[in-house]
Amino acid sequence: MSATSGILLDDVTLGYARHPAVHHLSGAIGSGSLTAVVGPNGAGKSTLLKGIVGMLKPLSGSIGLGNLTRRDIAYLPQAAEIDRSFPMAVYDLVAMGLWKRHGLFGGMGRGDSQRIGDALGAVGLTGFENRPIGTLSGGQTQRALFARLLLQNAPVILLDEPFNALDTRTVSDLLDIIRRWHGEQRTVIAVLHDMDLVRAHFTDALLLARSPVAWGPAHEVLTAENLFKARHMIEAFDPEAAICSRDAA
Amino acid sequence: MTLKRYVITSLILAAGLLPDVAQAQEKLSTIASFSILADIVENVGGERVEVRTLVGPGGDAHVYTPTPADAKAVAGAKLLFVNGLGFEGWMERLVEASGSKAQIVTASEGVTPRSMEEEEGHDHEGEKGHDHEAGHGDKGHDHGHEVAEGKAHGHDDAHDHGENDPHAFQSIANGKIYVGNIRDALIAADPAGKAEYEANATAYLAKLDEVDAQIRAAAEKIPATDRKIITSHDAFGYFGEAYGFTFLAPQGVSTDAEASAKDVATLVKQIRKEKVKAVFVENVTDKRLIQQISRESGAEMGGELYSDALSAKDGPAGTYIDLFRHNIKTLSAALTR
Amino acid sequence: MSPYDLLIAPFAEFDFMKRALVGSFALAMGAAPVGVFLMLRRMSLTGDAMAHAILPGAAVGYLVAGLSLPAMTLGGLIAGVTVAVLAGLVARFTALKEDASLAAFYLLSLAVGVMLVSLRGSNVDLLHVLFGTVLALDDATLILLASIASLTLVAMAAIYRPLVLECMDPSFLRSVSSAGTPVHFIFLGLVVLNLVGGFHALGTLLAVGLMMLPAASARLWTQDISVILLISAAMGVVSGYAGLLVSYHLGLPTGPSVISAAGAIYVLSLIFGAEGGFARRFIPIRHLEA
Repeated sequence: MSATSGILLDDVTLGYARHPAVHHLSGAIGSGSLTAVVGPNGAGKSTLLKGIVGMLKPLSGSIGLGNLTRRDIAYLPQAAEIDRSFPMAVYDLVAMGLWKRHGLFGGMGRGDSQRIGDALGAVGLTGFENRPIGTLSGGQTQRALFARLLLQNAPVILLDEPFNALDTRTVSDLLDIIRRWHGEQRTVIAVLHDMDLVRAHFTDALLLARSPVAWGPAHEVLTAENLFKARHMIEAFDPEAAICSRDAA
Repeated sequence: MTLKRYVITSLILAAGLLPDVAQAQEKLSTIASFSILADIVENVGGERVEVRTLVGPGGDAHVYTPTPADAKAVAGAKLLFVNGLGFEGWMERLVEASGSKAQIVTASEGVTPRSMEEEEGHDHEGEKGHDHEAGHGDKGHDHGHEVAEGKAHGHDDAHDHGENDPHAFQSIANGKIYVGNIRDALIAADPAGKAEYEANATAYLAKLDEVDAQIRAAAEKIPATDRKIITSHDAFGYFGEAYGFTFLAPQGVSTDAEASAKDVATLVKQIRKEKVKAVFVENVTDKRLIQQISRESGAEMGGELYSDALSAKDGPAGTYIDLFRHNIKTLSAALTR
Repeated sequence: MSPYDLLIAPFAEFDFMKRALVGSFALAMGAAPVGVFLMLRRMSLTGDAMAHAILPGAAVGYLVAGLSLPAMTLGGLIAGVTVAVLAGLVARFTALKEDASLAAFYLLSLAVGVMLVSLRGSNVDLLHVLFGTVLALDDATLILLASIASLTLVAMAAIYRPLVLECMDPSFLRSVSSAGTPVHFIFLGLVVLNLVGGFHALGTLLAVGLMMLPAASARLWTQDISVILLISAAMGVVSGYAGLLVSYHLGLPTGPSVISAAGAIYVLSLIFGAEGGFARRFIPIRHLEA
C-alpha cells in the first residue's frame, strides 16, 4: 500500500434533496487506520460511506482521496441492497471481486480460479462454489461478500453494517478478516452498532449524529457522555427547515 | 322572459339556423357509407344532392371506426345510403349513437346475394355456362371445378358459412340495381327533383351498360383457362361470376381475419397446379402476403386492383366507372401477357 | 401421416415456411435473452409498455411512406428510443420511478401517434399493417431480423457483467464502475430494437410474448443465469417451430399460434419446472440429509 494522507473530509455536507444527512463534517481518516463509524439511526453513517465511495455528490464541501481514486475503494453495501433471488452461483458472485482488475468486459485468467478458491477458503465457504446464492443463509451470504472484498484487493475498504443479524461465530470469523486487512495496512471504515465490539477491535471511531459528535481513538470517543449527546442531537426530519446559515459566512 | 332577452335569444337561434335552412333549400343532405356508393349517389343526384362520404378513398369499410364528426353528419342527414349485406358492420351503432332520423337506404336491396355456402354451386354454373359459350372443352370445366372446390375448402376454417358476400357492387348488373334504388330513394325524399333524378339515372345507366360491354369484350380476349386470379381478400366474387373469372384469396371475404400457414400453403399449391398467371393486390389491404405468395408460386405480380374503395379523384380509379375500367385493364394486361 | 410429413415436409415444400422459420428463430434468439434480463430486473411489463410506445411510431412511418420497411422500422425505433430515454432520464433525475415515468411516456406516445394518424385521415385499418405477418417475410425483413439478433447477442455479451450486476447488486456496480447508466440505456435500446424487429414478423404486441414467455419459462428450470439464457433462447426457437407447424396443419393464424406454443411451454414449466414448479411443491419428495 502506498503511503497517503488518507481520506480528507473538508467541511462536507451530504444529503438528499437539500436536506443534509451529514452536516459540515471535517477531518481525516488516516491511511491504514481501522475506523468505526457509530451513531444512532439516521445519523448519516451510510450516507457518509456513499459519499466517500462517490455514489453521492456532496451538497457542499469536498472529499479528498489523496492519490487514490474511486477504483481503489471496495464497498460493501447493506445486505438489503442485494437481490438474493438472482439466479447466480456463489462462485460467480465472488468472481465479481476480480472485475476491477479485468474491467467489466475483460476475460478471466487461469490464476483467477485459484484466487477465487483461496478467497472462498478464507471465509470458510470451500465447497459452496456451485450453490445458488438464493440458498445461502444470511451469514453465508455475508461470508461470500467478504470473499468478494478479498479479491477486490483494495487499499480502502468500506463496510456498511457488515455484522447485522449475524451469529457470533460468523462475526468473529469476519472480524479476523478485518484484522488481517488492518495488518496489511489497508484503510478500513466500518459502520457498526455494537459499541463493545468497536471498543475491542477498532483503533478509531467517529461518532456521528448528522454533525460529528466526537472523532478520535475509539476508547476516547465512545464515552457515556458522548453517546448521550449523540442521542439528543439527532432530530426529526423538518420539511420546513431553514437554509443553513453556516455556508453564508 | 324580458323582451330584450327574447330578442337576443331569437337572434342567436336564427343565426344558428339560417345556414342550415339555406342549405336545405339548395341541396338534399345525404350520407354514403363508402366512396364507391358516394360516387353513384353523386351521379344520380347531380346538382340537387350533397353527399358526404364516411369511409373515404383508400379506406377499408370492413373495419372503419367512425369519428364524432361522422356521427354529427349522420345526425343531420336526410338520407343515409349503405351497401348492406353486412358490409358496414359499424353502421348500426353509429346511427343509434348519433340519434339520426335519416332514412336508411340499402343500395343492394334486390340484389341476389352470393352466399359463401352457395359459392361452389355458383362458380360451377358460371364456369360451365361460360365454357359452353366460349366453346371450350371439358378440360376447362374440370379446371374450374377444382379451383372452386379448393376455394370453398380454404374457407372452411377461416369463415362462417351462410354469410353473404357484401361486395355486390363489383358487378355492373348489381351496380344498376344500386342506381335504381338510389334514384327511387332520392325521388321519395325530394319529389321536386323527380325529373332531374330520372334523367341522371338514365344517363348513368347507359354509361354503365357501355362499361359492362367493354368489360365483356376485354374478358372474351382472355383465354378461359387463364381467368384465375389471386387477390388478397375475397372481394371479387360478383365480378368473377358476371365476367367468368375465378378469384382466390388467402384472407377470405373480409379483411379482418389473419391468414394461417395452411391457407397460404393451400393457395400456393393451387396456383402451381392451376398454373395461375398472376396475383393482384388491392388498394385497401396489406400487400406483403400477396407478394410472398407471388415469389413462392411463380405467379407474377399483376398490379393493384380496386376492390372496396375508390382512389383519390385524380388517381386511376377516381369513380365507380373508372374503377371497372382500371381493374379490367389491369387484369387483361397481366393475363394476356 | 409420416413424421416427415408432419414435421419437415411443410418447410421443405414451401419457401414461405422456411422464411417464417428462419425469421422466428432469429427473433427468438435475440428477444429471449433480452426478456431474461427484463424479467430479472423486475421489468417484465416494460416490454409491453415499450411495444405500445413503438406502435404509433411505426404507424406514422406507414402513413408517411406507405408499407415501407425502413420507414416503419425507423418510425418505431425513434418512438421507442425517445420513450425509453425520457423515462430513464426522468427516473434518474426526478422523484418518479422508472415504471411510473415509462407508463406516462408510452401513453403520451400512444396518444400522439393516434392523433397524427387521425390527422392524416386515412381509414386503412392500421391494425392490419401493425400486425406483421410471419408468413410474408421478404429478404429485406429477414436480413433486418438476422441483423437485430446478431447485434443483440454481441451487445449482450459485451454488457453482460454490468447488466448482471445492475440487476443483483447495483450498489456494488456503482462502486466499481460508472458503466451502470450507459449500460442501462444500451439495454433499453436492445429492448426497442427487438420489439421493432418483432413488429415485422409478429406485430409488436405479440413480439413481447416471444420476449417474455420463454424467459419466464426458463427461470422455472434453473438457478443459473447462463443456463437460463440458453434455455430461453431454445424455448423461443421451439415455440417458433411448433407454432408454424400448428398453423400449417390445423389452419390457425400463425402469429398467435407461435405465441400460444410459447404459452404452452410456460404452462408446462409452471407445473413441472425444477425450480419452483407446482408439481415440486405438492408432490412429496423425501428431503436430503444435508
